[in-house]
Parts: sequence; C-alpha cells; structure tokens
Amino acid sequence: MLKRFLYLQQKSFFRGAGVATNVLQKILRGFVWVYFAFVFTGLAFIAFHYPQEELGVDPLVHANGYVLYGFVYWLVMRYFFQKMPLVHTQPLLVLPVSKNSIIRFGLFKTLFSFFNLGNLFFFIPFGVLLIQEDYTVSGVIGWWVSLASIILLTNFLNIMLNSIDRVLFIVASVLIGFFALQYFEVFDLSAYTAPVFMAPYNQPLWALVPVGLLAVSIRWSVQYFKQQLYLDNHEKKSKKEKHRSMELGWLDGFGRLAVFLRNDIRLIMRNKRARMTVWMGFAFVFYGFLFMTDIYSGAVWQIFVGIFVTGGFLFSFGQFVPSWDSSYYPLMMTQNVPYREYLTSKWWLVVVGTLVGMLLGSIYAFFSWETYLAILAGGVYNIGVNAYLVLLSGAYTRTPIDLTSTQKAFGDKKSFNLKTLLLSVPKIALPMFMFYVGVILGGKLLGIGMIAATGIVGFALRNVVFKWIEHIYKNEKHLTLEAYKQKNA
Amino acid sequence: MIEINALSKKYGEQTVLDIDQLEIPSGQTLGLVGNNGAGKTTLFSLMLDLIAPTTGQVSNNGSVVQESEGWKQHTAAFVDEQFLIGYLTAEEYFNFIGGLRDMSKNQVTTALDKYRDFFHGEVLGQKKYIRDLSKGNQKKVGIVGALLSDTPLVILDEPFANLDPTTQIRLKNLLREEASATGKTFLISSHDLQHVTEVCDRIVVLHKGKIVRDNKTSAKTLQELEAFFHEQL
Repeated sequence: MLKRFLYLQQKSFFRGAGVATNVLQKILRGFVWVYFAFVFTGLAFIAFHYPQEELGVDPLVHANGYVLYGFVYWLVMRYFFQKMPLVHTQPLLVLPVSKNSIIRFGLFKTLFSFFNLGNLFFFIPFGVLLIQEDYTVSGVIGWWVSLASIILLTNFLNIMLNSIDRVLFIVASVLIGFFALQYFEVFDLSAYTAPVFMAPYNQPLWALVPVGLLAVSIRWSVQYFKQQLYLDNHEKKSKKEKHRSMELGWLDGFGRLAVFLRNDIRLIMRNKRARMTVWMGFAFVFYGFLFMTDIYSGAVWQIFVGIFVTGGFLFSFGQFVPSWDSSYYPLMMTQNVPYREYLTSKWWLVVVGTLVGMLLGSIYAFFSWETYLAILAGGVYNIGVNAYLVLLSGAYTRTPIDLTSTQKAFGDKKSFNLKTLLLSVPKIALPMFMFYVGVILGGKLLGIGMIAATGIVGFALRNVVFKWIEHIYKNEKHLTLEAYKQKNA
Repeated sequence: MIEINALSKKYGEQTVLDIDQLEIPSGQTLGLVGNNGAGKTTLFSLMLDLIAPTTGQVSNNGSVVQESEGWKQHTAAFVDEQFLIGYLTAEEYFNFIGGLRDMSKNQVTTALDKYRDFFHGEVLGQKKYIRDLSKGNQKKVGIVGALLSDTPLVILDEPFANLDPTTQIRLKNLLREEASATGKTFLISSHDLQHVTEVCDRIVVLHKGKIVRDNKTSAKTLQELEAFFHEQL
C-alpha cells in the first residue's frame, strides 16, 4: 500500500503547478537541514562540556532544566513552519483502500519532518558523551526514549493545533499563562519538571509513561481524521458558521472599485484561510517585542522590525494575490474585469492593512521613539514599495489556493508558511541594506529618512508602476490560468 | 446485494433523504431518477460511506458499510470528476486502481481492450493528464475505471450526462452487455428517462428525499415516468 501512496505522491509532486519552485524549496530545505544538523551536534557538545567544565554541575541535570523550554520552543516553531500533510483523499474513498491506511499514510508523512528527526543530531552525540562518561546505558536510553516520545507527541499535538481551533486557543493560553508566571517570577515550572525528566534516567521503566501518552495521541489523531474523511463534514461546519449577508454599502464611495473591494472583503471574511491572514497581520504587530531583546539591538534590526510589524497582512495576504481568486480565475478573466481595478482593489486592502499596523505599532512609542519612527518609516516603505512588489511576485507565484482546503481532512490550513517567508526575504533585506548605508553615511535618523523617502517616491509613482504591473499580469494571464487548473495536484 | 433500513439524512432541520426500506437483489440493474435535490447523489454517497447517515444503515452484501470497509472489495463507483486523480494519465489511473484490486499491468491492458470503442480513440495513448482531458473524456475515464475491475457491484452517478450522443448510445450498449453477460449489479442514476428505462430492469423514483415509485421496467414505463414528471410542473 505504501508503495502505491508514494507513487501518487511522486507523480503529484512532479506534475503539480510550479514544480520548479517546489524543487527549489526542497533544496533550500535540505540546506536548512544540514545547517541545523551541525548546530545541534555542536550544541550537544556544548551542553555536555560547558556545565561540566565551567559550572561544575552534572550535564544531564543541567540539560533537564532546559528540556521544557526546548519543547515549548520546538512546538512554536513547528506551528509556524512545519508543513501539514497533504493527501488528496477523495478519489481513494471509493477504492479498496481502507480509511485507516489513508490516515496512517498522512500521519506517517509528517514523521519525516526535520522537526521529528532533527533532534537526533543532538541526542545521539549527547547520549554517546554521557555513556562515555560512565552514565548507565539503560538510563540514557530510558531518558532518550522519553524525550523522543514527547517530541513525537508534539508532532501530533501540532496537527491538532492546526486542525482544531479550540485546541490552539487552549494550548496558547496555557503557554502564555506559564510564560507570564515565569516572567513575573511567581512560579517557575521548569524547576518542577527537571526532576520529572530525570526520572526515566534513574528508572528506565518511567519511559513507558511518555510512550503511552504518545500512543494515546496517535490514537486520537487517527480517530479525529477518520471523522474528517466524510465528504459532508464541511457542510456540517459551514452550518455552524452562520451565513452573514454583507451588503457593504459604504464601499459605494469607491465607485467601480467597490465591486472588487466588496468581493475581496467577502473573500477574507468568509474563508478561514484568508481570515487567518488578518490575524497574522495582527500578530506581527506584537512580533516586534521579541526584538526588544539585546540580540537585536544592532541598528539594522530596527528597520527590520519596522517592515515586519507593519507588513504582516501585506506578506501573508498580498503575496498570494491573485492566487486567492484561483478557483474562479477563469470566471474573472471572462467577465468585464479590468486588471487595473482588480489590482487596485487588492492594493487598497494591503495599504489599509499596513496603515492599521502603523497605528497599532504606536504602542512601541512607549518604549522607544526611535523604534516607532522606524515602524512608521517601515510602514511608508511597505506602502510605497513592498505593496507593488507583492503584487508583482504574485504574478509569478501562481500556486493555486484551495479556499476549501481548511475543511478537508488533510489540507493546507495555514496562511503563513515557509513559502511566504522565502518570498518575503528580498522585501525585507532591501530596506535593511538601504538603512545600513544611511546609518554609515549619517546616522540612524538619516537611514530612517531614506527609507521613508523611498516609500514616498514609490507612492508618487503609483500610476506608472501600476501600468507596468498591469502589463505583466496581462502577459502572464494564460500561464496563470493554466497553473490554476492544476488544483488537484 | 444492497439492503437499506430506515435510512435518513438531515442537514439541520432539512431532511434530504428518508428511505424506510429498499432492497436491491444481486444481478439487478436499478435506475434511480428524480429531479435535482431529490436525493439521488445523497443516497449513493451514503451507500459508499462518503457521508454519515443521520439514522439507519446500508448493508452491502451482508455487512454494514458504516461499520466495516469490506464492501470496498466488491464495489466500484464513479460519482464525479472529483474522484479522478487529475495528475495521472488515463493509463496510469487505470493501472493504479487495477493494482488496488490485484490486477497486473497486463490484465489491465487486456481488460481495457473491451473499451477501446467506447473511448473512441480519444483517451488512451494521449500522453495527457486526466485534468487536461475534456469533461466528457474525464467522464469516460471514470466510468471505465468503475467497470474495469469486474466488481459484482457498480455504482454510477449520472453516467450519461456530459457525454456526446454517440458515446451515450455506446454506453447504453455497454451497460446492457455487462449486466446480461456478467450478472453484475448496477446502480445508475440519470436524468435521461429514455436511456435509463432502456438500460435498467427496475426504476426507483425519488422525490424530495422519498421513494415515490418503484417498478419493474415494462413497455409502458417510459410513458408513466414522463407523465409523473409532467405532473410536477
């Protein structure tokens, strides 16, 4: 059976839309793998020698103190970057393929993620070092089996986080709660968990507990997906989601553009995956706080924060124009739809999203005026330059987005993923470089001024740029239509 | 072959299907007719365990489809293009589903021979992915996919729709041949009263989710059906 699934997998990969980008992504991912493999191996040596030689404490005890943070960090990274399994299940349902084997394959695929295997690069060298140092072999194995089980457990937890909103909210609030307790020094959970992680070393049989929990999590996932394989599941869901009539009459002031804006707003409001982009935009605003730490105190990072904080919606929504409309793109192209208005509507959405980000970003003014100035400049740059760039890259992205995929059992549910990130790199790196030049020439304020000025110039050239983008969209039209046909891939 | 008891499907307040009892003996060719929304596809989807019933159950060859997946071994179905695998060529698709039913490549090729006429030279050897075929040709692929592996039960949802007139006639002949020669059980839904009365030996009429007529096909059946749907005007 596995052979057959792999056969389909391979065909769909090489025959899907955008093979070249997919292959490129895989290669990039390979480099990331190798990089982290080295980092983890290095970490294992540091985690062993540093506490022993510098602190004079037991490396295993020391490591156990960090295990909890490691898991939480790993889970958060997983949530944002691990791809969910995609299996096109419908044709298989009426064929002699059991539901269990479809699900098993879907879950099996997730195991090959770096998030599940990468930890071996840490644990194997660390374990070998421990054993060389006369730690008991059975203890080290027990310890390792426990931690590996918990890592795999988070794999299944992550699938649930992606599939069921309720689980996401519960887990997120628990994590934020403990984070707050620790931050305000009320209660340090890791002090209590360290001995717990030590237990399977002292008595390897304790490892059976995490293994058992892992088995339970697998069972739950299988049962959950089994329910999801019914075709009318999405009707059940859409029933819960009440039909909201949206006349949006206030948009009429935009004239003919209102037709498009209305449609776009409905697209965002009524489709989960599109709706998530709005939340991403909101979440990005607070992302800047992560950069308040010392590591990012370098001047260049300020403008990075500026672009990032105001650009969440721009990056997660804007970069997938026109893919959002992929399922009815042929319809759009046969209607009286001038590209100019179609694009302007999307541009407005992105601009409004950025403006909201600039407004919300004002909370940073309480911490540092300079940061807020950088955010404002970043916002202006996003509007004046990046808003065009996302539309432009959209013309070439051409990955169809299946808006109903959130309702499928094994579907892509995320609005922010590795692809979004890769596409964002040039849009962030360019202003960082510009800012760097400004700082060298005459200090931070000059750098910020340069960024803002570039944005304003870009904004002023709107008509020229739009004409050019429109031209490109027209040129790419047929290729885009062709690519969007390959939805089932 | 198929036994249905107290089967119903509700979406919220709305009952889309409510069948007290329906039995389909082995070897029968059953035609299912009814207007849009009568519940034809819902009934098929329930038989194929694609949706879960609100009440009741469907037994296929003695086992309840909602409980075990054994029915998949002796049942083949084609509902719509969603059930094709768009990125395969027609041959790859046939080999794939043939393989799932333990047919070798050679067996699949031999079995396909029977359908060469039906394809009219437009499907096999085209070096095209299924997603790039026309709607009509996709339909042909789906139908042959369901017939190919000689399962005792074949379910086809509106097989005549989207086909050109010649192919409709070919399909009619094909279905009649298969039914009489192999003793397969066929369940066919259709909006084309003439085709369905010609092919099937029993016609069930669904109306607003309920069975309103259930007769063996006779010379008068077509007239009676036309009269029935005329009344609905």
